[in-house]
Amino acid sequence: MSGTALGRAAVKDGATTREHEDRLLSACEALVGLALRAGAHEAEAFATRAEKSSASFEKGDLKLAHVDEGSSIGLRVFRDARLGFSATNQFDLESLEQVARNAVALATASPADPANRLPDVQRLEMLAPLVHPGLARLGIEEAVDYGHALVTRAQKHDARISVDGANSSVSRVAQAIHTSRGVRATESDAMVSLSISGMAIQGTDVGGFHYASDAVRDPARIEASLAALVDDFAGTAVGNLGAESARGSYQGLVLFSPDALLDLFVAPVLGAASAIAVQRGRSALGKRLGERIGAPGFSIHDRPHDVDLAGAGSFDREGQPTRDFALLEDGWLRGWLYNGYAAAVENRLSTGHARGGARSVPSLGTHAIHVAAGSGGTREAILATLGKGLLVQRFSGSVDPASGDFSGVAKSSRWVEGGRVVAPVRETLLSGNAYQLLARIVSLGSRAERVDGGARAPWALVDGVNVTAG
Amino acid sequence: MKRAVRLSPERQSPMLGSMQRASDPTDLLQDALNESAGGFVELRWHKKTTRGLSVEKGRVDTATASEHSGVGVRVLESGTFGFASTDRLEKGAILRAIGEARTAARASARARRERVPDLPRVALARGRFDAPGVDATLARPIEAALEMLLEVERGARASSSRVTSASTGYAEIYEEKGIVTSDGAKVWTRTVRPEFRVIAVAASGGEMQRGAEAVGVTGGWECLFDGRSANELGEKAAKQAVDLLDAGYPEGGRTRVLLSPALVGLLTHEAVGHTVEADFVASGSCAAGRLGTRVASDLVTLCDSGASEYHAGAGGTMAVDDEGVLAGRTTVIENGFLRSYLHDRESAARSGVAPTGNARAWEYDDEPLIRMRNTYIAPGTSTLEEMIAGVSDGYLLDGASNGQADANGEFMFGTREAYRIVNGKKGPLMRGVNISGSAFDVLQTVDAVGRDFRWDLGSGHCGKGQPAKVDAGGPWLSCEVVLGGRKS
Repeated sequence: MSGTALGRAAVKDGATTREHEDRLLSACEALVGLALRAGAHEAEAFATRAEKSSASFEKGDLKLAHVDEGSSIGLRVFRDARLGFSATNQFDLESLEQVARNAVALATASPADPANRLPDVQRLEMLAPLVHPGLARLGIEEAVDYGHALVTRAQKHDARISVDGANSSVSRVAQAIHTSRGVRATESDAMVSLSISGMAIQGTDVGGFHYASDAVRDPARIEASLAALVDDFAGTAVGNLGAESARGSYQGLVLFSPDALLDLFVAPVLGAASAIAVQRGRSALGKRLGERIGAPGFSIHDRPHDVDLAGAGSFDREGQPTRDFALLEDGWLRGWLYNGYAAAVENRLSTGHARGGARSVPSLGTHAIHVAAGSGGTREAILATLGKGLLVQRFSGSVDPASGDFSGVAKSSRWVEGGRVVAPVRETLLSGNAYQLLARIVSLGSRAERVDGGARAPWALVDGVNVTAG
Repeated sequence: MKRAVRLSPERQSPMLGSMQRASDPTDLLQDALNESAGGFVELRWHKKTTRGLSVEKGRVDTATASEHSGVGVRVLESGTFGFASTDRLEKGAILRAIGEARTAARASARARRERVPDLPRVALARGRFDAPGVDATLARPIEAALEMLLEVERGARASSSRVTSASTGYAEIYEEKGIVTSDGAKVWTRTVRPEFRVIAVAASGGEMQRGAEAVGVTGGWECLFDGRSANELGEKAAKQAVDLLDAGYPEGGRTRVLLSPALVGLLTHEAVGHTVEADFVASGSCAAGRLGTRVASDLVTLCDSGASEYHAGAGGTMAVDDEGVLAGRTTVIENGFLRSYLHDRESAARSGVAPTGNARAWEYDDEPLIRMRNTYIAPGTSTLEEMIAGVSDGYLLDGASNGQADANGEFMFGTREAYRIVNGKKGPLMRGVNISGSAFDVLQTVDAVGRDFRWDLGSGHCGKGQPAKVDAGGPWLSCEVVLGGRKS
């Protein structure tokens, strides 16, 4: 294959989605061949092509219109069970040959690891095409329109709103994978992404910063998504004005938004459920498989076939099939997440959790997290259960993945008394242990809400949280 | 006991050939620019080459070499900016990208209320600028770094039976940029930024704790390990993880603290630096409208610089920003008074001041944004011992983890280690916590500034839509914050 032919994989020429996928796949096949000729014993090439039109707004005005398209290809090789990886965005033959040489040279320098082998072919069940025909036609003009609509709707909502930033983009991505073991797959995706951030300002009172974002595949849903996004952002930002210190420090009940629940309690569990973390002795949950670690009713699933969420896809970064996966059911820890490497360590199949792009070695992670709704009713009903205490909409802090200890600031938080929000709160710190508090989830809301277009989770009332008033 | 890193010359080989090629792209860019129609045009060729290695429990998880290169094009048309890019350093591709950027600008002009003013006339950079350490770092075989990682990781694991896992990582970003603008910039820069990290996990009685150390510089290998060797960093991370197993939790509440240089770096970067970025100021950050007013104790002078002040190797060092403006030093706060914001060319034009050289783009297909470089509080006169002796009831905090701040100046950042101070005496180690406060309120409470300066935030990245390599630091600082302790 000539360098010119490979080079066309990166050229913008009005090709169809299928043609882009085919070109990427051809480049992958060529690169795997080059790697084997350069001395690799196994080779995997993964390529992506992204086309994006975006508009960014600052202080309520257009800042920049940005059109962009580019491709990347990454090569993972094993030579005597030694790992090497190299990547480039240049698709000419000389560059690809260099990538093959680099990867093999790195593999030669690395120590051997018996688990360094590529996964075998598994049968894929492809989702229906993720690229909506209506979205395929959108470009920079529509991106500007959506961004403009974000800003004007926020400003109409309340004149005190100061939009720090708003972004809208239309993106189309194609990906392809080919390995020397015969894995061979392509898929494309397209989305409109929207985000808005800022605060409300009244005189000298600068309210707490807030942001909201969403991503949708169906053009018919853009308008509704945009409206809900702005109303959430603006309502919360205005509500942050006049914040005061929390009315007392305490250890006890705190109500967390779906966003805060995911950051504070779900993300550490996902990290600790990595089979690699378990195998290497750094998972705090490593010895608790099959135990009940969460409160009854607390369930976490990965649902990569939920096409309403951004992470949906038919196969993972290693070309392995994705499927529904139960991590936590009714509080019981059900399983670990495996990519090809972790699976090879235990001589079992991957669970389809290889993640990452073309520019890095496949890592391990989830696709589209669902936290099951509970029976706690609406947010108002859970507020009544809380009675008095703190409501947290965002958590800005850190959770130590080893210990589970967390400490951070409650953002866009509210003080609750008599089961009603009575005041916005500032400078309030939260601390505790995420793993221990999983068992102290008292109530889960009856609806799992979309979070940033990538996950679903309900409101959650958690006991035993340390609240320090500023 | 100190362990020396052994290198095996017979295993070293010249590698990754294309990474060491470098040729001045600015003549080609200038040719393309000359053929484009009029108006403001900025062309930035940017090649980013990364080499990365990571090791855990004796296994190599990452051994990568990657290259990402192309030309970012920004035009000013119809009173607004348009941006496009091409991955090809060819005149035809660049001219097509210029056309796409113009189309994007025209398509979006209707949504622009306030037209971009004429950009300020400044002396733009011309010539070649090489940061220290480029050639030496590129010539160093990756095998040397790999052997170091394996040895340090092994050493950390062997240091205590309570250490259950350790990992090490090395990353190196080499960048070449050629910037040509229609108003006179024509510059070629080369920079290399290596970084090293080590993490140890210790366990006992069903509990786990983590220790971590990381360094990152603009410069070569010797600069990276100038303060402490890789083995010393590994030993410290392992000891921290083990010691934290037996440590208690500090009490929460508002209290006086001594912040280490790393935490002072976080404070200057997260809590102050972001609020004085002119785009945040325009959106109504807490620094808006406060130029010339007192925002800190008179002991506080805070700067952002493209140079590595006081000590070589700061991780955000750069001679020229991504608009071709020379990256000088900006005094943000002088003896407690707010003196300047951080500007790109557009915000400088709107404010009627000179740009401060803070426009930065992460890769060729990213547009330049206002970003910090090396941000610091200037050293004072106190020794650490004097500062500890001056605290009747408080904490000494060290070890930066993550940090964030809002436009209203409310910040949060994590610490790894805390020590109670009672009547001027430092107590035993306690677990790190997050601290919070309002930036300018906290700076008003500063009552002592140390004299020993250190850069300590050169590893990792700052995020603002795009990542950026920055650094921050300073001396020890005494101030008042809210501590998120376990019991209140």
